[in-house]
Amino acid sequence: MSPNASYDVRNKYRCSIVVAVAGNPNVGKSTLFNVLTSEIAHVANWPGVTVERKEGVKSFGDKKICFVDLPGTYGITSSSIEEIIAREYIISGEPDVILVLVDSTAPERTLYLPIQILELTPKVVIALTKVDLMHSLGIHIHIDKLESKLGVPVIPVSAIKGIGIKELLQALVEVAEGKKGRKEPLRINYGGLEPFINEVMRIINDSKALKQYPIRWAAIRLLEGDERLEFLLEKHGEVDKLKKIRELREAIEKSIGKSPEELAIAARFNFVDSISKEVIIRVEKTTFMQTLEKIFQHSILGPAVSLILLFMAFLLAFAINTGFPLNIIFSVLGLEELASIIESYSLSSLLGEVFTYLSNIIYDVLTPNIPPWLTSLICDGIIPGVGAILSFLPLIAMIMFFLALLEDSGIAPRLAVSFNNLFTKFGLTGRALYPLIIGLGCNVPAVMASRTAIEDKERVQIAFSAPFIQCQARLVVILAFISAFFKSVLERTIVIISIYTAGVLIYLVTSLIIRRLLFKTKESPEFIIELPPIHKPNAKVVWWITWDYTKHFLKKAGLIIFTLSIVIWFMLNYGPSGQVDDITSSYAFMMGKAIAPLLAPFNLPDQTAWKIGFTLFQGFIAKEAIVEGVVLLSGEGVDVLEALRSLNLNPIQAYSLLLFMALYVPCLATVAVMYAELRNVKLTILSVIYMVTIAYVISLSTYIFLSYLASLIGW
Amino acid sequence: MRSVPLSMIPKGSKAVVVSILGGRGLMSRLMQMGLTPGTEVEVIENRAGPILIRVRGTVIALGRGVASKIIVSPLYR
Repeated sequence: MSPNASYDVRNKYRCSIVVAVAGNPNVGKSTLFNVLTSEIAHVANWPGVTVERKEGVKSFGDKKICFVDLPGTYGITSSSIEEIIAREYIISGEPDVILVLVDSTAPERTLYLPIQILELTPKVVIALTKVDLMHSLGIHIHIDKLESKLGVPVIPVSAIKGIGIKELLQALVEVAEGKKGRKEPLRINYGGLEPFINEVMRIINDSKALKQYPIRWAAIRLLEGDERLEFLLEKHGEVDKLKKIRELREAIEKSIGKSPEELAIAARFNFVDSISKEVIIRVEKTTFMQTLEKIFQHSILGPAVSLILLFMAFLLAFAINTGFPLNIIFSVLGLEELASIIESYSLSSLLGEVFTYLSNIIYDVLTPNIPPWLTSLICDGIIPGVGAILSFLPLIAMIMFFLALLEDSGIAPRLAVSFNNLFTKFGLTGRALYPLIIGLGCNVPAVMASRTAIEDKERVQIAFSAPFIQCQARLVVILAFISAFFKSVLERTIVIISIYTAGVLIYLVTSLIIRRLLFKTKESPEFIIELPPIHKPNAKVVWWITWDYTKHFLKKAGLIIFTLSIVIWFMLNYGPSGQVDDITSSYAFMMGKAIAPLLAPFNLPDQTAWKIGFTLFQGFIAKEAIVEGVVLLSGEGVDVLEALRSLNLNPIQAYSLLLFMALYVPCLATVAVMYAELRNVKLTILSVIYMVTIAYVISLSTYIFLSYLASLIGW
Repeated sequence: MRSVPLSMIPKGSKAVVVSILGGRGLMSRLMQMGLTPGTEVEVIENRAGPILIRVRGTVIALGRGVASKIIVSPLYR
C-alpha cells in the first residue's frame, strides 16, 4: 500500500518552512516535538494506514514552521510500513528540511539513521537529544568535529530542560533556506560493492519508475533488495531492469560470499564507527542510577521489585478512585461501615454525587418550563452519560500517569523483559503484564494499556482479550452471588478463584488464537527491546504522555459512551407505546425477554429467565447494574440477597450464570475504548460476538457438566 | 574460531557478530540496531528469559528466539 505523498501541510497551516522529524523509537522524539510546537495542531493517521501522524506549528521570528512527525524508525529501508512512510515523505518534496534526532546517551548506534537519511537528501539538521542525561552518564561528544565531518548543523538539546531549542529552530530555518548545510547528499564508500553500484546506476539511468529518487541512492537500495523499489519497477513494466539487478545480487553473493544487504549495512556502520571513534568519549561513572540498574537486572530481584512497584502504583490509583480493593477487603472482613466510608470518599463516588446533585438541580429548574421527556433526557440520559465519561477520567489519568512514570524511568521495559518468557507461550510479550494487572481493577484503562505493546498485532491481541479479566465491578456481582447462593467458605473460595482463573486463562488463550488465526503467525512477537538507562522520570514528559492518553480516551471513547448512554436511556424509558413509566413495558425489557429463550438450556424457573435476560442487558451498561437490575425487578424495599434468592436458582445454575455474566461482554465504556484502540468497527463487533459466544459455550457446558456430575452423585 | 549462537554465550563474556540467520526483515532490523558483522557485544545477563547484551554502548534485551539467530564468535581473554 502506497502512502499518498501529497499532504499539503504548507497550505493547511500557511507555513513558510516544513520540517519532517525523524528518529529512532525511544530517542525522545515525542518530547522534543511537544516542545518545538506551540500546540499539537493535528493528530491523525498517515493516509491509508493505521500509523499515527502528528503535525504541529511554531512561530519563530517572522516565520511559521510546520513540523510533521515521522514514525520512529531505525532505518529507511522498506522492511516496515513505518520506514516506507518516513522515506516516502522525505522525498515527497514537501519537507524543506529533515530534523533527525540522535540520542546522546546512545550516539554510536543512533547516528546510523541520520547517515542513511543523508544519503537520500542533503537538507538535514541533527539534534542531539537528552544532553542533560549525557553528561551524567560520562559521555562527551565533540560537536564541532561531528558537524564538520557530516557537513550539517548538530545542535545539542534537552527538550525537558529547554536547552538548545532556539538554536535548533535557527539552524532549521538556515538549512531550509539554503544558507547552511550540505549541497549534495552524503556519499559513503561501499568498498567491494562500488563497481556493482555503478553498474546498477547505469541500468536504472533511464528508469521512469524510479525517477523521483536520487540515482545513487536507488542503486544501492536495489542492490540491497528494496521491496518497494522492486515493486515500482514491476509496476512500470521495467522487469528486465529488475532481472538484471537480481542477477547482480546473486553474483555478489557468489563472489564475495555475503549478501549485498549485509555488506551495505556494514559499510554504513563502518562509516559511523569511524566518526564515533573520533568524536565520542566515554568516561566510567558509577552513579546511584547504575546501582539501581544492577538491581533491576538481577534475575530475581528485578522482577520482584518491579512487580511490587507496579502493584503499589495501581493499587494507589484504584484506591483513590474507587476505594478498591480496600472497600472489598473491609466488607469481607465484616467492617461494612469502614468499607462504605472508603467508597463514599473515593473520587468516583464524589464525582457521582456531584452529578446526581447537578441533575437534581437542573431537574427542578427545567421541570416547569420544558416538556417532561426533554427534562428526562437531560437529567436521566445526558447528565449521567457525561458523568459516566468524567467519572472514568481521573482513574484513566492516574493509571496512565503511573504507566508513564514506569515508561520514562526505564523500569517498564525491564519489567517486560522479566515476564517475557511467560507471555511468549501465548503469542504475547512481557508488555501484556500491565493490561492483566490493571484489568483486575477496571477493564477500561486495561484496554488502553494495550498501547504499551510495540507491535501493532500485539496491541490488537491485548485489546481483544483484556475484557476477560475480572474487573472490580464484576467482583461486586460475584460477591453478591456467592453470598446469596453459596454457604460454605470452601464453596465460595472455589467459585471466586475458578472465575478469576478462567478470566486470565481466556485472556491468554484468546491472544494466542487471535495471533494464530487472525494474523496467521506461529511465532510470538519478536522480542527486541532497548533498555535505556534508568533515570529519574521527568515531570514534563510524564505529564505529556499522561495527557496524550487521556485526550485520546476523551476523544475516541468519550463520544461513544455518551451516545450509548442516550440510546440506553431511550430504551429504558420508551416502549412500543411511547414513553413509559413502568420499566416492564420498555424496549430494554423487551430485549431482555428476547434473550430469555437462549437461557432455556439452563432450565430456569418460570419468572427467572426474563429477569436474567433484562439484567444481562443492564450488565452491558455497567457490571454493578446486574445486581441493581435484579433488585429493581423484585420490587420496592427488597435487599440484594433476598432479590437474588427470589430468582430461585440452584447452586449449579447460579454458578453457570455467574460464569456467563463474568465473561459475556464488558461494560459499554470498555467496548468504547476497544473501538478506540482497534480503530475498526468490524473487529470491535467481532470481539463482542466472540465474547458472548465463548461465555455462552463455557457457561452452558459447565452447567451441563456439573448437572451431570450432580446426577451421578445423586444430588 | 568456532561460531555459536549468541544465546550460548555466558554472562560476562564478549563475542563478535559473525552473521544473522533468518528472514531479511529480522536481519535488517537487528543490523540497523547495530548488530553488524564484526561488531563486539558483551553479554550482561543470560539466564532463563531474554538475553541482555551491550552493543555500541547501549543495552538491548533479545528474546531467546531472536538471540539464537545471531551467530557470533566468542572472544577469549
